[in-house]
Amino acid sequence: MPTLTIDGRTVSVPEGKTILEAAEAAGVRVPHFCWHRALGALGACRLCAVTVLDGPQKGVRMACLTPVQEGMRVSTLDESSWNMRRSVIEWLMANHPHDCPVCDEGGECQLQDMTVAGNHAVRRQRGRKRTFHNQDLGPFIEHEMNRCIACYRCVRTYRDYCGGDDFGVLGSRDRVYFGRFRPGRLLSPFSGNLVDVCPTGTLTDKTSRFRARPWDLEEASSVCPHCALGCAVIPGGRYRELLRVRADPRPQPNDGFLCDRGRFGYGYANRADRPRQARLEGRPGTLAEAVAALRERVEGIARQHGPEAVLLLGSARATVEANALLSLWARRLGAADPVFDLAARRDGAARIFARAAPALRATLADVRQADLTLVCGADPLAEGPLLALALRQAARRGAAVRVIDPRPVPLVCEAERLPLAPTLVPEALRFLAGGNGAGLSQEVLQPLAETKRLFDAARRPVVIGSAEGLGPDGVRALLALVAGASRPDRDAKAALLLPGPSSFACARLASAVPNAQDLRRRLGGGKIRAVVALEVDPLAEAPPAVTGVIEKAELFAALDYLPTATVGRANLFLPSAGPYEQDGAFCDFAGRLRAFARVLRPGTPILHTGKGNHPPRTFSPDVPGGDAAPAWEILAEILGISGGLSGARAEIEKAFSFLQGLAGLRADARDERVLPGGEPPAPPGAPAGPEPAGLRLLLSDPFVGWEPLSAHAAVLEVLRPEDAVYLNPAELARLGLAPGARARVEAQELSEIRVARAADLPPGLAWVVRRRGSALSRLPAGEVFACRVAREEGA
Amino acid sequence: MDVLDEKTLSELAARVRAYPYPREMVVDVLRAIQERRGWVSDEGVELAAQLLRISPLEVEEVATFYDKIYRRPVGRKVIHLCDSVCCFSRGGEDILKHLEKRLQITLGQTTPDGMFTLLPTCCLGACGQAPAMSVNLRLYGHLTPEAVDRILEEERREVSP
Amino acid sequence: MSREVPRVLFANRRPGLTASLAEFERGGGYRGLRRAVAELSPAEVRRLVADSGLRGRGGAGFPTGVKWSFFPHDAPPDKYLVANCDEMEPGTYKDGELILADPHQLVEGLIVSAYALGANRATVFIRYDYERAACALERALAEAREAGYLGEHILGSDFSLEIHVHRSAGRYILGEETALLNGLEGRRPNPRLRPPFPAQKGLFGRPTNVQNVETLACVPHIVAHGPQWFRGLARTPEGAGTKLFGLSGHLERTECFELPIGTPLREIVEEWGGGVWRGRRFKACLPGGASTPFLDARALDVPMDFTALEKAGSRLGTAGVTVFDDRTCMLRVTHNLISFFARESCGFCTPCREGLPMVRECLARLEAGRGTLDDVDWLKEQVPRINLSFCALAQGAMGPLSSLLALFGDEVLDHVGRGRCPLGEG
Repeated sequence: MPTLTIDGRTVSVPEGKTILEAAEAAGVRVPHFCWHRALGALGACRLCAVTVLDGPQKGVRMACLTPVQEGMRVSTLDESSWNMRRSVIEWLMANHPHDCPVCDEGGECQLQDMTVAGNHAVRRQRGRKRTFHNQDLGPFIEHEMNRCIACYRCVRTYRDYCGGDDFGVLGSRDRVYFGRFRPGRLLSPFSGNLVDVCPTGTLTDKTSRFRARPWDLEEASSVCPHCALGCAVIPGGRYRELLRVRADPRPQPNDGFLCDRGRFGYGYANRADRPRQARLEGRPGTLAEAVAALRERVEGIARQHGPEAVLLLGSARATVEANALLSLWARRLGAADPVFDLAARRDGAARIFARAAPALRATLADVRQADLTLVCGADPLAEGPLLALALRQAARRGAAVRVIDPRPVPLVCEAERLPLAPTLVPEALRFLAGGNGAGLSQEVLQPLAETKRLFDAARRPVVIGSAEGLGPDGVRALLALVAGASRPDRDAKAALLLPGPSSFACARLASAVPNAQDLRRRLGGGKIRAVVALEVDPLAEAPPAVTGVIEKAELFAALDYLPTATVGRANLFLPSAGPYEQDGAFCDFAGRLRAFARVLRPGTPILHTGKGNHPPRTFSPDVPGGDAAPAWEILAEILGISGGLSGARAEIEKAFSFLQGLAGLRADARDERVLPGGEPPAPPGAPAGPEPAGLRLLLSDPFVGWEPLSAHAAVLEVLRPEDAVYLNPAELARLGLAPGARARVEAQELSEIRVARAADLPPGLAWVVRRRGSALSRLPAGEVFACRVAREEGA
Repeated sequence: MDVLDEKTLSELAARVRAYPYPREMVVDVLRAIQERRGWVSDEGVELAAQLLRISPLEVEEVATFYDKIYRRPVGRKVIHLCDSVCCFSRGGEDILKHLEKRLQITLGQTTPDGMFTLLPTCCLGACGQAPAMSVNLRLYGHLTPEAVDRILEEERREVSP
Repeated sequence: MSREVPRVLFANRRPGLTASLAEFERGGGYRGLRRAVAELSPAEVRRLVADSGLRGRGGAGFPTGVKWSFFPHDAPPDKYLVANCDEMEPGTYKDGELILADPHQLVEGLIVSAYALGANRATVFIRYDYERAACALERALAEAREAGYLGEHILGSDFSLEIHVHRSAGRYILGEETALLNGLEGRRPNPRLRPPFPAQKGLFGRPTNVQNVETLACVPHIVAHGPQWFRGLARTPEGAGTKLFGLSGHLERTECFELPIGTPLREIVEEWGGGVWRGRRFKACLPGGASTPFLDARALDVPMDFTALEKAGSRLGTAGVTVFDDRTCMLRVTHNLISFFARESCGFCTPCREGLPMVRECLARLEAGRGTLDDVDWLKEQVPRINLSFCALAQGAMGPLSSLLALFGDEVLDHVGRGRCPLGEG
């Protein structure tokens, strides 16, 4: 650990670190543009000039490129390096437009900061400035090349970090151009990171263009609600409108990067058709009336018909607090636990994983540092996009990436795939753990043996699955594999992708063994009279056997902030606050509790109420559309818990010991609390049902189009995949389907028309990517069903 | 019109296959396209990308770097007049004026008949023969206005005798 | 051409002709290669080159033996040897002349050097405008292959080598060795960060040695005749070998001559160059290409040798000598030179991309008589700052600029004072 002094401050940093990194550690800010914590040094901008007063190479040096040496003495304040930095600013500003008043970066612009810091105020350059034509980069990113200072951060982010290949550097000399080959939408699912990394207004968020100055935004530390990874975000809003989401620049958990679903999927909060008013039997009312009605009616039904007449539906996207209070309500009513996930197989898988030892559960950082990653029955880009990005970082460091999956799983790094029927994936995991591979063919065993060799040799392997892809049997195999491989010198971990930001906590709140059969019995018995849906849309997500019962219930209550099918049909509706409109906590896929702080109060955006006029000229103590309250607050009210969030959290900690520590979490500090492991459930008594014969249907989720929040964000609609049914080419031919033909797909008495497409799939498999609202999408993902695919005649 | 004929295409594809890193052929492929078509169109970039199994953007990044890959249409003959110090110090600017007068175009333009495009170039490596220019890879040194007239005439005749 | 001078690299040069394999062999060609593979170990060849005092002929003048000592000769294949024939620095045309005159010298130089380094692949990187030289080289390669000098088991030894020719598409920056490697890989030819150095991670991440054409051509002669002979060719005790001097600018005779290292500048100008043209007087010269600082008449007696020129405040560079007569406006010349560097910038780092065009505009103002004393001060400030650029390109541009301000400062101020060029229209 060399020790050096920078501007008189002494600091010790590990060997191989640069002066710039040492300065950061010492709290000395060295101005820079091209250096970026996650992207590293480049040496292009030449702004980070410092003077080495004592050291092997004295004089002005680039801090980002100069390794530290024992006893080095560095100054950022002496005249020669100061002059260099001034000149760099002068050079950059010579062609930079003075359009700061209309630039969306203004106020959070690094170039602006450095220009002021460098005392540059007079442009010596005469003559015209350099100008460029901008490109239309699609609905997310605005391009303004005249502002570019060529720091190369965008290309390094887009190409190196995110693996895109349609954005780069064109031209040369003083006409270097950052853009695409042809104008058009940036194709990477991580394109939005360009907004965060660009130090100027060259690449800005188009979805919030010209809406607010950065200093006018209300911002808070929050957690992304669009999947279970728990990425740290800083959303911003103004005038009751959510306007943008940016990544928290801190390294953990998501290394300062986001996916486009998490960044641009916020539009659900601002929708004109967002349900903002309580409804009682079709009549508008106040939230207070609705809360009272909910308590009375549920308690009344429980008294009259017994607690088994009450069905509480919890939610992967509601806060941990709301789900815990729902559980508490069930206890008080004497009713069965809430159903947190109507997809029984996925639910069962999650409950097992939620009880695994913390040391076995991989975080995103573990994935980034892995030296081997196996992706088994999971589609990270759809189910947890930042995990795909973490895999890429592992691959960039030299880790091999192997995929075992029936689907051609898209990734953003090189990967070798072993196509395997869905039901065989658990057996493959058992083989890797030393099993005999019963039921696996020779042509599968050979590559699998090679993967096993890699796995056995790896020191930090991470095996990634998904709850819906693996099911309970697969998750058991997954955990057995990593538990068996962990030794003192070897850290094997597993990651399981779950559907939503509270899934892990919900799986822990539920009993270890799913009550699927119990649920079937209850639903089939005709006893259900009251259904409470907490921020969940069973009508879009469950098959007819379940929805039929729910729809017929005497009380069908829904709490939500999305205009879902369930909200439309419910006879009691309570508007709840969206995730960025409340304080609360989520629990990520590795069982880490994280708190988030409210960004905005709920309310109809002034843009809608004033129809663009600002501000409203009428005065009222009520915020229009501001009746919504956090779901936990509604439930606390019903349970008679006072004291706001801390009161609720105290009750929750008392009731659920594994949530100890929830109350102490600070959102700003990004505290996290690791949920302990638990008693693993006993292996199932009954063997899995027989594999359906003939053509089987497999459903899975897309990047955009299924996840409920982003499915309600209009700007993301361009990313929705085609409604297709994929078959392998031989199967397609056997069915007489040409690629592009219309095909009717039928399974479980559901049917719809899709476009037939060829894909690299095992024989006998029809694969459908779900879209919220489509009939077949009500079937759970991951499971296989007997199905029929036939050509659909007519237009 | 196809960017490349079948024969050239299959020759290039064979060479690409023989290389461990296909990308290293990018300049060769762009030059091959330019040789046949005079310049590299968007379709040419896309064809190169397809041959080399990289994205069109990655080809474009290289194509737009080099001065002698033409990404815009040029005349049948491209005149590159050296404007570096040796030619400059021996009357290069007078030659430019003469060329502009004769061809009735300025630097960067193409004659209306599509015959000549006039472009500057940095040092051609003909400093001992300054002032110098090249016309489609053919080098001409010791230029005088009279020599330029003769060269233009010959080059023109070569295309349309 | 009064004086007797040794003819080594230009021994087979005939005006307008390219030496064939037979002519090359008649003049002793491939003797160095025969000796190397038959009698010497690679280490012995490296030793001979180190002892010869050979320094790189591409501009930087780095001792070849030292550069070779960094090369991991016993690393497993692939290891690459690259001949740099980008040769785009204004005033420099010697490598083109060498290949056109006698291409087998480069071929033999590559084979012997690859043998010494343990390289198994060699590439000649050749600039767009040297198509004739590229064709001559390809013919020579075919002849060498046919004769067993190239390919599998060269001259019956265990040593095998293949040589490729890569034709570029026109940019000066590719002369920078790491930009050249990016160019060969089909990437944008920006210079690379060092470390890692090409000797460790070069072409496709493998050990790579990049060498100037003329440097490589010297190697077989050193092997054939010994390091003492090579040292003895120079006219200064610290120099070694002959050097190709490409003359240009305001001289009566602007040709490329092979002269001993250490030949005085005055002799080059007055005897070999036939004196300043049109009977005018010598004002200044660029002694080694566009990136070397100007020398004025006071330096005429400097021996053209690496060390002597450094002492005189300039560099031998590529030894392309461009002379300016006494009617030349040095501000105008510098403006032209800076325009070249600004246009040839790859655009990667700020000082080069943004700073050089600003310097160009400032010089244009001064040249037109619209400059101020502030402009002159500003120019002075730019030199040390632009010198902090990522690669040597912008630093090269600062050579002429700094010497303009040092040697011809009064002339620059005269432009400001008179509001026009004191020398009239150039």
